[in-house]
Amino acid sequence: MPAVESSRIIRSRKREIQIKTLVFIALLVLFFLTFTLGVVIGAVRIEWRVAAGIIFDPLPFVSMLPGTTDAHRDILMEIRLPRVLLAAAVGSALAVSGATFQGLFRNPMADPYVIGISSGAALGAVLAMLTGAGFAAGGFGAVPLFAFAGGLATMLLVYNMARVGSSVPVMTLLLAGIAVSAFLSALVSLLTYFAGEKLHQVVFWMMGGLGGASWLRVKVMLPYVAAGFCCIYVFARDLNALLLGEETARHLGVETERLKKILLVGASLLVAAAVSTSGIIGFVGLVVPHFIRLVTGPDHRFLLPASAVLGATLLIGTDTLARTIIAPTELPVGIITALVGAPLFIYLLKKRKRLRYFNSPE
Amino acid sequence: MSLRLAVHGLEIRYDAFPVLQGTEFTLQPGELAALIGANGAGKSTLLRTISKVIQPTEGSIYLDTREIKRISTRETARMMAVVPQDSGADFEFTVEDIVLMGRLPYLGRFQKEGEKDRDAAFRAMEMTGVDHLARRFVTSLSGGEKQRVMIARAICQEPRLMLLDEPTANLDIGYQSALLDLAVKLNREKGVTIIAAIHDLNLAVQYFDRFLLLAEGKVLASGRAEEVFTEVNIKTSYGVPATIYRHPLHGRLQVSVARGRPPVKEAKKLRVHVIAGGEEALPTLELLLSEGFELSVGPVSNQDSGYRFAAFYRLPVLEVPPFSPVAPALNDEHLQLMEKADYIVVPPIPLGEGNLRNLEAVEQALDRGRSVLLLQEDGAPERDYTGGKARELLRRMWRKGALPCGSLEEMLRVLYGGRGEDSSGNEKKG
Repeated sequence: MPAVESSRIIRSRKREIQIKTLVFIALLVLFFLTFTLGVVIGAVRIEWRVAAGIIFDPLPFVSMLPGTTDAHRDILMEIRLPRVLLAAAVGSALAVSGATFQGLFRNPMADPYVIGISSGAALGAVLAMLTGAGFAAGGFGAVPLFAFAGGLATMLLVYNMARVGSSVPVMTLLLAGIAVSAFLSALVSLLTYFAGEKLHQVVFWMMGGLGGASWLRVKVMLPYVAAGFCCIYVFARDLNALLLGEETARHLGVETERLKKILLVGASLLVAAAVSTSGIIGFVGLVVPHFIRLVTGPDHRFLLPASAVLGATLLIGTDTLARTIIAPTELPVGIITALVGAPLFIYLLKKRKRLRYFNSPE
Repeated sequence: MSLRLAVHGLEIRYDAFPVLQGTEFTLQPGELAALIGANGAGKSTLLRTISKVIQPTEGSIYLDTREIKRISTRETARMMAVVPQDSGADFEFTVEDIVLMGRLPYLGRFQKEGEKDRDAAFRAMEMTGVDHLARRFVTSLSGGEKQRVMIARAICQEPRLMLLDEPTANLDIGYQSALLDLAVKLNREKGVTIIAAIHDLNLAVQYFDRFLLLAEGKVLASGRAEEVFTEVNIKTSYGVPATIYRHPLHGRLQVSVARGRPPVKEAKKLRVHVIAGGEEALPTLELLLSEGFELSVGPVSNQDSGYRFAAFYRLPVLEVPPFSPVAPALNDEHLQLMEKADYIVVPPIPLGEGNLRNLEAVEQALDRGRSVLLLQEDGAPERDYTGGKARELLRRMWRKGALPCGSLEEMLRVLYGGRGEDSSGNEKKG
């Protein structure tokens, strides 16, 4: 005998699915619009039809419009497209890792940098800059490599500091992360103090920017971010259970210790990669997941992909602003993300009155 | 459907501090057991060990014939569900979302919830009466509703063993009994073996068949209420003296903790004799005891609440066999007892043929110069069951100088104020 549900409940459930579908479609449309704008807008204006012709040239039945110059082609293919794609990858990585850390720690203040990965990466990057290490591997310079290594080393350090036997209490992890982060930041400040003529380079790196975009970085980042996302997304349902508390998640059959390890490593790899290619871009990872939660709730099966799309959109948009607002000079994109993101977020908070989730983080 | 739970020699130490030390018990399939014991006795620790949150230092736990160490977390979740004390429902999930999480141990990593899972969730919500809340956010529910959602999730796991950690804490009396009714229903209809940590003994006794009394990390007593609820057990485990009696309505055992011997303000030399008989005497007795007077209690049946009071506080009391009149020998004893008292107090008790004899004895004591206080003496026609005889007797005593007191406060004023005067008067007459 099948259970009989009231039509009201069925209608309400349908509406939720419809809303989520619409929101996701809207996010995708917004993403493609921003993407197109990012490619078209710049110091040199390129008409969108010209741009489309260039991008889709390799496809059959498409040819470049007459009057398209090699300069147009080069600007588009070698500068703008990789930059926009990199912004998308970095934005997604930050938003997804932010959502993951907020869920893992059950704490609304968590962001991708909460356990000190950014400080470790900054230390690595600053060391590379100051020593002028000519070290390079796989086409990458010393700065991103050092930054990546610094980020991951920090994650391992924090993890091992918080570990008790085979388990890792998340509160200890969070506190250890904050302490290590503060310590490493102090080291970075110390080095910055003695940076001399390299001060400008150091400070600019730490503000974050996508100026170093190249196809090589895109080729490494995109599959990497895709893999990291999939690895976390597979555990979306378990992450939902984790929101109810670790013990409850265990009682529902979730191997919480293994889950925490996977999420921690997955999110940390995303953050380390993002930071090493584009410095410390703040706010995207904190705000984007909250934004999605406010609109459609805490379910990670929707939250994670939606955050990925919105994170990509936000970073493409703000990066486009950063490089056009006072062109040909570029502003650090981190400044724009905060300037644009914060008021938007506050508006949403006021409109929804309060965050109806995260009532009591542990 | 049921599961047997066996716990052998469980030991848990938190930083060398022992919490469980050799806990040992077995629950037969389909048993409905209450886990009781004082705060810190290890109830929650025991439940958390059974649910594999804590690893025991020593000992083993078996579900049927399998040791839980060797069962995966996922498979354990299909056999055993836990209803936590704190719902953890701080996020805007719908009730339906939360209940559906009970299907987690049955779903493959890439499998979506199917019709069967939705069905199970709906039935569970129906059983706990939260189906109409399915689309509400858990964050918007009351404590009682949340608790029922947690139980629905547990039912949705289709467990054969269910652990409940103080499920009635924070619930009002209506929700408390509804919740325990639900546990009983689950046990009877689905055969789920249930163990619930519970603080309210008098509530537990109405619902559970079996009790496990935990004290200092060991099972101090186990079995039916009659075997577990003894004054010695309660004193050992909770550290308070308690009276065990049968509830006048449903006849089950009840545990009542009087507030120890009431804190005595200052011991008085004054001796007060109280004519008990009926619950109406209790407020008088308690007040006099807490004020520090030396008390004795008049002839009462051993079924009487006044007798229980006296026995509990070890006061001198004259006992009448039930359904018997006061024998002449006992009456003499009564007179002697009153002879030793400075005051004799007659509380506003119902007056029948049974205690008419006692009143007559009071009159004799009055004649011999004892001070008698008649509480709330307003003629009291509504508590006179002797057709006016008792009333007449009270009037006569009043005329002979017994003091009427309108209230307990007035009685105290007389006892304190009249102390010097009366004791000197007694000396003259004595």
